[in-house]
Amino acid sequence: MNTSKLSLGDRYAEIAVIIVTLVALLAGWLYMGSVESRTLPFDTNGIKASVPVGWIQSEPGGDVLVQVRQRASAGFQTEYMVIQQPLTAESGLNEVVSLLTIRYGQELTAFRVLSQQAVTVGGRDAYEVSYAYVEADPNISHLDLPVVVRGLDYIFLNGEKAVIATYRASEAEYQGGLAAFLRFLHSLQF
Amino acid sequence: MPENTCCVCGEPGVHSLGGRWFCERHHQTATRERRGAWRSNLGLILALVVFVGLVYAVDSFVQPAFTPSTLLLTGVLLAIVPALIWLGVFYQQDRLEPEPKGFVLGVFLLGALLAAAVGIPLVENVFRVSDWLYADTLTTILGGILVVGFAQEFLKYAAVRYSMYNSAEFDESTDGVVYATAAGLGYATVLNVMFVVQNGGVDLGLGVIRMAVVALAQAGFAGITGYFLGRAKFEHESIWWMPLGITLAAVANGLFNWVRGEVTRGGVSLSGGAANPWSGLILAAVVAFICLGAVSWLIHRNVKSALAAK
Repeated sequence: MNTSKLSLGDRYAEIAVIIVTLVALLAGWLYMGSVESRTLPFDTNGIKASVPVGWIQSEPGGDVLVQVRQRASAGFQTEYMVIQQPLTAESGLNEVVSLLTIRYGQELTAFRVLSQQAVTVGGRDAYEVSYAYVEADPNISHLDLPVVVRGLDYIFLNGEKAVIATYRASEAEYQGGLAAFLRFLHSLQF
Repeated sequence: MPENTCCVCGEPGVHSLGGRWFCERHHQTATRERRGAWRSNLGLILALVVFVGLVYAVDSFVQPAFTPSTLLLTGVLLAIVPALIWLGVFYQQDRLEPEPKGFVLGVFLLGALLAAAVGIPLVENVFRVSDWLYADTLTTILGGILVVGFAQEFLKYAAVRYSMYNSAEFDESTDGVVYATAAGLGYATVLNVMFVVQNGGVDLGLGVIRMAVVALAQAGFAGITGYFLGRAKFEHESIWWMPLGITLAAVANGLFNWVRGEVTRGGVSLSGGAANPWSGLILAAVVAFICLGAVSWLIHRNVKSALAAK
């Protein structure tokens, strides 16, 4: 089918198209990185952190100080949440963790604790709980399959209150979004 | 390319035009203006608008009931309609000097294949545009140009450049627009089919508007790339000519996506669609008319000046 031969100038032009496209895509990639690392400060009840720009932020209410969700056209929206709960006189970190996992077990479908351990975050003692559950869309006419969601909670004691920082993402997105959540976690100040 | 050989068929060249050599036959084809291509593009725009109106009216008055599978099937069929309309109008207008049907269909399929195998995975999975593209206006415009625009327009260019471009059938400057439009409609068809499949079907009225918008926009931007391809083949252009064409098409693509988002944003209806989808269709029809009209006028001007120089 091919009959005409390319001149050297045509070859250079062809290479130039590829180079321009690659440069544009590389610039797009760098720009994507800069957009994803942009943050907005929030300060509620003495708790400060930096949340990603462009995420959907819910109004604080009840124990929830901040709840942000990534925009996604379909599937589970990756979520960060900070909750502050009052402590009873005798409760310590272990009791808070036990109560939290019992509550998750009651509220979340097929809830499983995957691991839990004491950790240090930014010089503060905390408890890390990794878990999974199944998120089923309440809209039964929706054709999406239920999604396996991975969650990671960091529980801190702050005077007479417990501060819980939560990360939840679909199994597919979890690892990819973990580094960004850890940046969010390290931006927490109280 | 050796000196004095026809840039289309490689035979000895007897005429020089725009720095390229042509044999007698291809000199005639290169300086021929094919009005059918412009008329078929105009026909696509008008027929799509009429088609959308008809489907919307049927949906509003008849309110057909679908099972999930018939809804999916209807959506997929609707996604193919814009390409069928264009092919139908094109072959009606192109009877005097027809392009080989198999080649036009082949480029259409190549555009579709590149969209499914490279374009959509690159934009949706590698760049994950739905996660960040709509963060703010600047991001929507810049990301739309650099990622979505360049990825789509390069693949439409590649569908023509690495298939028909060096063929003896690519013997008129209008052929660049014809084959690029075919590639653009192939790309649009896959975008629409994927949208239908991912959503398990679409609302008939709103779905057909979206499909027409995507098809018109992809065809319009492909027309820009096609014009630059045609000129690059038949005239000796500088090294930046084709990159400029891709860049212009990518910029138009990115700006269109942003403007469409702005004009269709009027709240969300209970059925989940944008409240003002008709303005998106009007915008797409105007953009396609301007893009395809402008390249037709430019080709007309080039042919006229070539004939004057004869």
